[in-house]
This record gives sequence, structure tokens and C-alpha cells, in this order.
Amino acid sequence: MNTFEKGTKIKLESGDSVEVVKKLGDGGQGIVYFVNYKKKPYALKWYYPNKLKNAQQFKENIVNNIKQGPPTEAFIWPQMITKNQDDSFGYLMDLRPVEYEDFSRFLTAKVKFSSVSAVVNAALNIVNGFRELHRCGYSYQDINDGNFFINSESGEVLICDNDNVAQYGDNLGIAGKCRYMAPEVVLGEKHPSVHTDRYSLAVTLFLLLFVSHPLEGSRTTCPCMTESLEKKFYGSEPVFIFDPENDTNRPVRGIHNNAIKLWPIYPRYIQEAFEKSFGEGLKKENARLTETQWQKLFLRLRDETITCGCGSEVFVDSEADAIQCMGCGKTIQTPLFLKVKNNQVALYPKSKLYKCHTNIDSDDFKEEMGEVIQSKSNPGLWGLRNSSNTTWYMTTPDGKQKDVRPGGVVQILRGIMIDFGKNRGEII
Amino acid sequence: MGIYDELCGGIARRTMVLFFLVDTSGSMAGSKIGAVNEAINDIVPELRDISDNNADAQIKIAVLEFNSGAEWLYPNPIEAENFEWDYLDVGGVTDLGTAFTMLDEKLSRNEFMSDVAGSFAPAIFLMSDGQPTDHYEKGLAKLKENNWYKNAIKVAVAIGDDADQDVLKDFTGNSESVLTARNPEALKKMITFVSVTASKIGSQSSSVEFSGKSSAPSKQDDFVEQIQDFNADIFDDDAEIEW
Ligand SMILES: Nc1ncnc2c1ncn2[C@@H]1O[C@H](COP(=O)(O)OP(=O)(O)OP(=O)(O)O)[C@@H](O)[C@H]1O
Ligand SMILES: [Mg+2]
Ligand SMILES: [Zn+2]
Repeated sequence: MNTFEKGTKIKLESGDSVEVVKKLGDGGQGIVYFVNYKKKPYALKWYYPNKLKNAQQFKENIVNNIKQGPPTEAFIWPQMITKNQDDSFGYLMDLRPVEYEDFSRFLTAKVKFSSVSAVVNAALNIVNGFRELHRCGYSYQDINDGNFFINSESGEVLICDNDNVAQYGDNLGIAGKCRYMAPEVVLGEKHPSVHTDRYSLAVTLFLLLFVSHPLEGSRTTCPCMTESLEKKFYGSEPVFIFDPENDTNRPVRGIHNNAIKLWPIYPRYIQEAFEKSFGEGLKKENARLTETQWQKLFLRLRDETITCGCGSEVFVDSEADAIQCMGCGKTIQTPLFLKVKNNQVALYPKSKLYKCHTNIDSDDFKEEMGEVIQSKSNPGLWGLRNSSNTTWYMTTPDGKQKDVRPGGVVQILRGIMIDFGKNRGEII
Repeated sequence: MGIYDELCGGIARRTMVLFFLVDTSGSMAGSKIGAVNEAINDIVPELRDISDNNADAQIKIAVLEFNSGAEWLYPNPIEAENFEWDYLDVGGVTDLGTAFTMLDEKLSRNEFMSDVAGSFAPAIFLMSDGQPTDHYEKGLAKLKENNWYKNAIKVAVAIGDDADQDVLKDFTGNSESVLTARNPEALKKMITFVSVTASKIGSQSSSVEFSGKSSAPSKQDDFVEQIQDFNADIFDDDAEIEW
């Protein structure tokens, strides 16, 4: 198919039209253009003619998804559909903002995350996106490294290529890459579904944290990776590189350096989640972690991440007395924690409280409600600042009560109780 | 600072070698070799991008020219990131058999396919405008026993109507993977299309499709399908013979 020239007009089903400015990229299914619609810039995905197995059904599915709307803001969702033209059609969506990069560029280390917190935020955002998608009754079907745009500073995530998203039970005959697909899909035994999405999600999270593939180790470093070997390594005989009971596929020094370097850094509960996902979870759909389970784990991870004075981030362990900073080697005393219902947040300068901590009914892990600050004149003096717009009520260990207005600070001392209005916490 | 910005490299990637086998016999003089040089030179940045943004594999490029004898232009395949196309000159006859033999030698894990992280099967792209002047049969028979060759994506462009289509079909294993370029414009389009498409398909973890049928598509089939679409498009505008 020839690409559209600059200035080409394409009619939308609504009757309006868009004007092509330039080509942005292409993929297996089509070409994405920069276009103008009513003087505003958008992205237009245009399918290759005759490439879709059932174009009419595919188009109807997109129209239906447009009607339903996106599960969350994180989805670059189809917004308008075009009329058929030159044997094909397309849809309009928002452009990816420039500060977001392709996930594949993080994997090839062309772009790097600025901090561990950014990585953990990206994990939370990806998990949350799929949680909401699945709650809306959709499955994504073709999760792979081409579907995510990520902000390396903040860990904000945009999920793109949402044209394959289908309602529960529907299947659009999508092709996916072996490396990301559940073994039963690789083997052709099952169609993609919410359960196979969960497997691909675990692969994506592993890639994100460890910048390596969970099933690629010594066993898979064969000279020629043929398609039948791919079926074997990702389908019939997958072995997790850190399987506690099977050491036949361990990462190889010199090839899988990232896995070797990053795996030991993470706490046991994170490692266990992956051991389960790529142990039992390889064969058993129900053994795969749900998005809600992942979300809890990554929230805990974020709550237990502190920033050492040297700038390095460290995962604290509430059971241990002290930990050693990986950056400067300094010993850090385990700090006090704020215990709220369901969570426990390490209180160290720069630590943050979010709405999910201060409001028991909320699972908003983005809106900041408080921050730990350090006195400039007396660095040993730490406080928790109320950055919300409601007043907190604190009770000291000897029973004195005080209001903490927005902007006010609670000194961090063991035994202080804080009533946030919609949740209560205690410093322990 | 953080552990992530200190990572020395990305995910372990396999290598996919894209082989250009270019006929540089005397008959390729003028607009034929001109179009080949221009097209490959122009496509290098795009191959670089495909490699850069690809978490499955990196792309390396190897070039074998054949005329009276054959010669590898670089001692080893070169990463697309660092590859620069050396414009080729022409002269001599068409020793395709020698080219096949030399290709067979390098398609070995002790030679060009030696990447420690492993390789995907290569993509091999042959361009010729004439009849082999040597006994190519023996070289080709040997090549056909090579497992790398067997699993490779193979494609050929016949430049003009004097090219020996049968040999090219024998090389690719099917007639669909042989394109015929009848003028410089068509040749350039074909080189661009073939290099990009073969690189993309070859350098990706293979795909599984759910079309109701049980047999999964292979990379070569996938490639053939795309070639046919492309051929149907190009045929109308570029049927004129101009060489
Ligand atoms: N909203 C967007 N804004 C800017 N660029 C985009 C947008 N959507 C897609 N692109 C670019 O266009 C390219 C192709 O898009 P996309 O991945 O959706 O195509 P595809 O045919 O579905 O590919 P695949 O078969 O790999 O899924 C992408 O690499 C991306 O860089
Ligand atoms: Mg797609
Ligand atoms: Zn430190």
C-alpha cells in the first residue's frame, strides 16, 4: 500500500474530515500518521488493506470501544472512526506526548529510568491500567513491548494500540509475539483472554524490573533460535530463570547481566510473586497473580522505598534493625513507619503519603496527601507535612490532641496517632 | 545515582543477520548498480531504527559481492548502528556458484553466526541481472543442506528480463519470493521494501495467529504474503521495461 501524501483528506464517519501531515511510524497492521482535525493535531492509525482477517468485525469492535470509552486516562483510546476509503479504514486517537518513550527503548537501554521509584510507579501504572481494563469486561489480547509509552522521570504510562481490545469472550484473531504470550497460546491450545493477559502482564513486569526475560537463560542461548525452538522455550517447555527448584535455565554472566544484577536487589515478596507467576502460573491459569494482587505488592514496595542522603534508593525491611545503602555503603537505621489500615509506610525524608493511605475507600496511588520533611537547622528532626486540603487530627502518646491544618507538620515520634478523616494511622 | 541509570546494557538480544548478495558483474553497469547503491545507502538509517527500537534482536548486515569470483565486503557482520554502505563497482562475469559456496561457509556458528546470545535465522537477499557463468548447482546443493539457510527468510530480485529466474527460484525455494525489477525506480522500491520487511519479520520473536486453522504461520510465509501484496501494488506503475 502506498503511504498517504501530505495534505490527503480522509473522511470520518461523522462527516468531518482530517488532513494528513506526515507519517509517524508503522507496524504489523498499519501505518500511523500525524493528522489535523479541526485544526488540532491527532494520530491516525490506518490499516493495511486486506490485512485484517475480518475487517468488518474488527471495525465494529473499534466503534463499540469508542462508544464505551477508555477504562482510564492511561489509554490512548480510539476516539473517532473513518469511512472506508481505498479498501481500508482507520481511527483517530491522541498523539503520544514527547516526554513518553517506547518501552522497547527502555529494554534496549536507549532510555533509562531516572530512579527505582519511577520503575515502581511504571509497574503500578501498568497494573492499574489492566485492572481497570479487565473490570470493564475487556481483554487486551496482545500485550507486548510495543504497547507502552513510558515517562522515564515519573513512571507515568500510556497504553497504546488499543484496537485489539475486545469484550470478554470475543476474539479478533490477533497475532501476538511468542516472547510475550502465555504458553497455552503459544501452543495454540487456547485463545487470548483475561487469563493469558495476566501471564503477559507478569512478563511485562519482569521485563520492566529486571530488564531481562523471565524464560531466557542458559537453556535458551542456543546458536539458532528457530521458530520451533521458540515454541519449545515459550510454549511446551518453559523454565523460569530463577525457578527455586529447577536450575537448568539460570541467567548466564556476560549475556544476562541485568537479571543477575537486579534480581537480588528486590525483596523476597516481589521475587516470590514472580516465582509463582513463572512456576505454577506457567501451566495453571488460576495461579497467575491478579492485577489487584500485583497492585498491593507494588504499593508495598513503594511504601518501603526510601532515599538515602546520597541519592540512592533503598528498600527497607521492617523486620530488620538496619540496612545498607547500595549506593554509598552507609548503614541506615530502619526508620519509623506509619501504620494505616492495609499499609505501612516508611517515614524517611522524601517519603510520600497518597490518597490510598489517608482514605480507606480510595485506591488512588497518585494523588499526594503528605510528605516527610527534614528540618534544615536540625537534620535529625523529621516531620510529616499535611499536603492535602483537609485538616488532620493528631494525638500524642500522652493523650494531647492537636489540629494539623493543610501545610502543617506532625513531628515524627513513635506512638503518635493521626486521624486523616477517612483513615487513621499510628507511627510505630 | 540509581541502579537503573547505571545499567551497562539492555536486555539480552539475539542477532539477526541481513545478507545482501549482490551481482556486480559487468552487465550491472550504469543505472542498475546505481539504483542498488542508492537504495541500500538510503535504507541504512531505517534499518538502524528497526534495530535500535527492537528488544527481540539486533540487526547486523553482511555483504557478499560476486562477479569473477566473490568477496565479502566486511570480515564480519556489522551492527546496523555502525554500518555504512560502500558503493559497489562492477566488472567481470557472474560466478553465482562461488557466492553460494562462500555463503555456506559463513552460515556457521563458528563463522558469522557466532553471537553468544544466539541468533535468529538470517534473512538472505540476492540480486542478479544475468545467468550464472559457473556451475552454480554444486554450490547451491551444498547450501541447501545448511540449517541456517533452511530456516532463513530468502528473497531474490531479478534485475531485468535477462536474469535467470529459475536459478533465483531454486535459491528462494518458491516463485513468490522472486521479484522482477524492470526499471531503476522499481528496483529501488523493491530493495527498500525487501530490506525493511525481511529485517522486521526476521528480527522479531515469531508470531502466533488465531485464524481457526491449526498451522501457525512461519516467518517465510508471512514474508511471502507481504511480498505478494507489495508486488500487486507495484505492478501497475512499474511494468515498463527501461534497462
Ligand atoms: N498515538 C500515537 N502517537 C504517536 N505515535 C504513535 C501513536 N500510535 C502509534 N504510534 C507510532 O506508530 C508505530 C506503529 O503503531 P502500532 O504499534 O499501533 O502499529 P501496529 O501495526 O499495530 O503494530 P504492531 O503490529 O507491532 O502492533 C509505533 O511504533 C508508534 O511509534
Ligand atoms: Mg497492533
Ligand atoms: Zn547512600
